[in-house]
Amino acid sequence: MKNFKYFEPRTIEEACHLLSRYKDKAKILAGGTDLLVQMKREAVDLRYLVNIKKIDNLNCILSQDNLLRIGALVTHKELIDSTVVEKDFSILKEACLAVGTVQIRNLGTLIGNICNASPSADTVPTFIALGAKLKIVSTRRERTVLVEDFFAAPFQTILEPDEMVTEVEIPYPTLNKCFVWGGCYSWLPKITTTDETLIGVAIFLEIALERGRLEQVRIALGSVAPTVMRARESEEFLVGNKIDAKVFQEGGQIAANEIAPRSRAEYRRHLAGVLVEKSLNLAAERALRSGQFEETN
Amino acid sequence: MKKLIRIVVNGKLFKVRVDYYRTLLEVLREDLHLTGTKNGCNEGECGACTVLLEGKAVYSCLILALDADGREITTIEGLLKEGKLDPLQQSFVEYGAIQCGFCTPGMILSAKALLEENPSPSEGEIKTALAGNLCRCTGYKKIVAAVLAASQRS
Repeated sequence: MKNFKYFEPRTIEEACHLLSRYKDKAKILAGGTDLLVQMKREAVDLRYLVNIKKIDNLNCILSQDNLLRIGALVTHKELIDSTVVEKDFSILKEACLAVGTVQIRNLGTLIGNICNASPSADTVPTFIALGAKLKIVSTRRERTVLVEDFFAAPFQTILEPDEMVTEVEIPYPTLNKCFVWGGCYSWLPKITTTDETLIGVAIFLEIALERGRLEQVRIALGSVAPTVMRARESEEFLVGNKIDAKVFQEGGQIAANEIAPRSRAEYRRHLAGVLVEKSLNLAAERALRSGQFEETN
Repeated sequence: MKKLIRIVVNGKLFKVRVDYYRTLLEVLREDLHLTGTKNGCNEGECGACTVLLEGKAVYSCLILALDADGREITTIEGLLKEGKLDPLQQSFVEYGAIQCGFCTPGMILSAKALLEENPSPSEGEIKTALAGNLCRCTGYKKIVAAVLAASQRS
């Protein structure tokens, strides 16, 4: 922890040059809520510390080109307070409120949390359910990767040593009178409410109003596999099906059988079934409620 | 390697030469001799090191001192104004919300940040705001009561 060189780049280009020069000996400092803990435990070989907080334009939350764009320096607290997020993607706010404690949310960034790649990270399932993508830059190239494809293993991402994430982009679902969408993030803790997440469930679903059927369903589960996973068999079963309590119950059971937890498997499997079912019901309820607002306008 | 940092603590400007690796917590306690802020776990779990960074509650053990350069910090010492206790501090005393006192500075600052943002919190909101501050003595009931009473007074 003791001997490292310290840099405060003013632009993304400067930061990328530092990463390309020092590669995996360099670590990015944003909120620092994960990095400082690792430094104190000497769990990281830190030679070069790159503080990105002086870079302009990384702390924006923008609604632009049918995307919600969240910059790398946006903290959980900033997202929670954002009126744009409250209006357009309140499930993200719901997920952020599950992260850590007030003190962690005030300092820690969303993207820092994603890059830490914990299998139990609370915002990741929601980002995956919303089809979010990460913008990754380096001196060599720029690329966009689905959050879903970002994780290789617990605490390991697909980032190359010279790359950094600059923003996360969430596509706006198509809004028209025929379809409504709803979502939710539900979770249960291991012991206390500020403890690690035992299981996290994020749902995004789209309902075709006239037929009363599920047009699109995305179920993302956290802390039940080495990386956050989609319950694809459950999704396949649900799409095209009616909005029905029994359908949701079966969807929950199918999802429960898809998980691959490292520990407390029986309990997690039981919880997955219950939580997915409850969450599908809640998401559908929210979707239909949002449709009512449109009709009365 | 050292860096000269400028930090405003409780309204006063300090210039300190700090080693890169030292945390804000260490510098507040050892260089500025503001020992009200406590070191409990040193890894951002217990909340004893809580200070306000531009009004927001943060764990000072997770902030490098050089990262606090140019920032405004409030420690528990900053709540005493001209020898008078802050209403929150007064309430903690009256409600028996202090036993050993180790968690108290952090608790009060988290509560202070809450009341600045939300002057009439519910009990649930108080508990959420204080969830990042652990207390081994009181069982929390009197702490929550003290914060509620302080909010109702102002």
